[in-house]
Amino acid sequence: MIRTFFQRAPIRRLLVVLGVVAVVELITGPPGSNQYPTSGFTGSYAEPASFFGMFRTQRWLVFLALALVAWGIAEFWTRYGDTIRARGSSALAGPRQVSERRPVRVGFALALLVLGILLPHIVNDAFWQSALVTYVAIYVLLAIGLNVVVGFAGLLDLGYVAFYAIGAYTTAWVTGALPTPPPFGHALDAFWAIPFAVVFVVVAGVLLGAPTLRLRGDYLAIVTLGFGEIITIFANNLYGITGGSTGTKQIPHPVFHVGPIKYAWGLAPVPYYYLALGSVVLFLVIFSLLQRSRVGRAWTAIREDEVAAESLGINPLKFKVMAFAVGAASAGFAGVITASADNFLFPSSFTLVFSINILVLVILGGMGSISGVVVGAIIIQVVQAYLNHTPPSGYQQPDLYIYVGALLITMMIFRPAGLIPSRQRRREITLYEKSHEGHPDEVLLGDDV
Amino acid sequence: MTTENVFEVEHATLRFGGVVSLNDVSLVQKRGEILAVIGPNGAGKTSLFNSLTGVYQPQEGTITFHRADGRTMSVIGKKAHRVAGAGVARTFQASRMFSALSAFDNVKIGAEDHRGFGVVGAMVRGPRTRHDDRRSDEKTAELLSFVGLAERANVLAASLSYGERRRLEIARGLATQPEVLLLDEPAAGTNPAEKLDLARLIRRVRDELGVTILLIEHDMKLVMSLAERLYVLNFGSVIAEGTPAEIRANPVVIEAYLGTSAEASA
Repeated sequence: MIRTFFQRAPIRRLLVVLGVVAVVELITGPPGSNQYPTSGFTGSYAEPASFFGMFRTQRWLVFLALALVAWGIAEFWTRYGDTIRARGSSALAGPRQVSERRPVRVGFALALLVLGILLPHIVNDAFWQSALVTYVAIYVLLAIGLNVVVGFAGLLDLGYVAFYAIGAYTTAWVTGALPTPPPFGHALDAFWAIPFAVVFVVVAGVLLGAPTLRLRGDYLAIVTLGFGEIITIFANNLYGITGGSTGTKQIPHPVFHVGPIKYAWGLAPVPYYYLALGSVVLFLVIFSLLQRSRVGRAWTAIREDEVAAESLGINPLKFKVMAFAVGAASAGFAGVITASADNFLFPSSFTLVFSINILVLVILGGMGSISGVVVGAIIIQVVQAYLNHTPPSGYQQPDLYIYVGALLITMMIFRPAGLIPSRQRRREITLYEKSHEGHPDEVLLGDDV
Repeated sequence: MTTENVFEVEHATLRFGGVVSLNDVSLVQKRGEILAVIGPNGAGKTSLFNSLTGVYQPQEGTITFHRADGRTMSVIGKKAHRVAGAGVARTFQASRMFSALSAFDNVKIGAEDHRGFGVVGAMVRGPRTRHDDRRSDEKTAELLSFVGLAERANVLAASLSYGERRRLEIARGLATQPEVLLLDEPAAGTNPAEKLDLARLIRRVRDELGVTILLIEHDMKLVMSLAERLYVLNFGSVIAEGTPAEIRANPVVIEAYLGTSAEASA
């Protein structure tokens, strides 16, 4: 009787959530001592002054409440979500029906764009204005680029930071901030680093992709991870070229100067925000056009079944390299904007953790779903900025990864396809789960080629 | 026209380590012919298919594909997508649909040209891209009604019945405008009524579209009624070749399928 109670799906999920929360609470709490070994859970042992004071000091109560709320929402959604969603759209809408909803979606996108343009004037706060660039816009740009590689083409890339680094270092090189002389002998403006950076990252994408994309799955992940590390080590060790571990602090602000039109970026963050917003919009348009084109369909085919795709005349290597190069382009842009806005760069900012951070944004938002990835990146990055700006007592920056990790685990249990999943991805996951229910062997068998 | 060869396989040997999958296999397929390859499980039928489509690379022998325009292609050493692009389409033993896509999109991906355009061309949707797109849509609709799935165009491939999936796979293969269609056990898992439909469809593919058919099949009734000529494989070697009537009477084939009388009595 008790066994069956604990085996019920909602109860099992509740136990998992409580377990995750307990671990998170213990890790983020103050260190215990001989006298109070469990202070990781309980926090401060000051006597609660009032009923509400108890909530402030007894951390486990707060965590328990959070867990119950999260569990309640998730259970509600698993039980009634399908009915709610069914009202909005039919799950089996074919190619024709989708286009009928297009004007609505374009209108929605335009409304969001207007909001995006007005945003820095709405948040009239110096920290948040700069956070919009350094925490949000840059990461959105990176996340939508990685989404092309991971979400559209289904390639796990753990070295995405390399393209960001190449973009940033190209900016430094073009503006003459590195020990190596700039191209054509004289320093160019940072704005002109953009075409250089895009060409460089696309070439880097092809160079890395062509030999390695023959690998599949885990093998590819390891190779890309290595590539990311190689770029950082190069930046660190090629002292005469990159400036070594101290990097450079002399990257000028960009100036746009064509004919009579001249605009110079300065220290103020808002103009950079618009530069980044413009790039985000540009890449959103490019990526969504690609997703709907035959390139996008070929990516889907390769992601779903590479052998079948090849039997239809699709060259998997060509399309994978294409995904790599196209996805890298937005990272190159992001590199240029960051380098010229910050004026400095160090090799130590381009680490593996950075790549994983971007990957987390993509997974949480919903792989393959452009809107999901944008929303996911905005939420996570705003929370991160908030926590760094106004940290709760006892919060330290590394704690963030624990929270994000817990969030990731919870998401994988309740919403494996992400926050706003792409319809296709959701189907893929449901179909996969259905086809493997009770037949764990099928993962290994069922492959006739 | 009908005497011209499409596939010529000469002394093909395919090994995986010490296992010999194909042992000195030679076969010829004529244009417009419905040819079947039969044999017990593990005889090397699917290995033969994979060698013909560039998925496996036999270590010895030659495989030549003659196209209708007179050009020839040596299949061994070519990538699967190049062989497919040259005009060899196939279906798979365990059907490999893009299950999360609609039946329509499954076929459309096959109908599209995957060469000769870049990122920019696909993105900008200029007149040529739009024209190509419309052409693929029309061809897809045409093929779906040819295989009798016009009503099911917007259904997820995963929600189709087994027989429907088989037909969808044939439509997807045909969308690549092949000269030869290789069918790997198309009737597996279908019921008797569906088998009849399938046989009729395969014959129509040859008669109406002029596509040469190479078939692997276990269902003897279907094979014998459909194929004009057969090869029998056993342990990777061709043990017999001939018309259905000849094969049925061949003692070597009967032995391979049923065992010798000496074995049976032992």
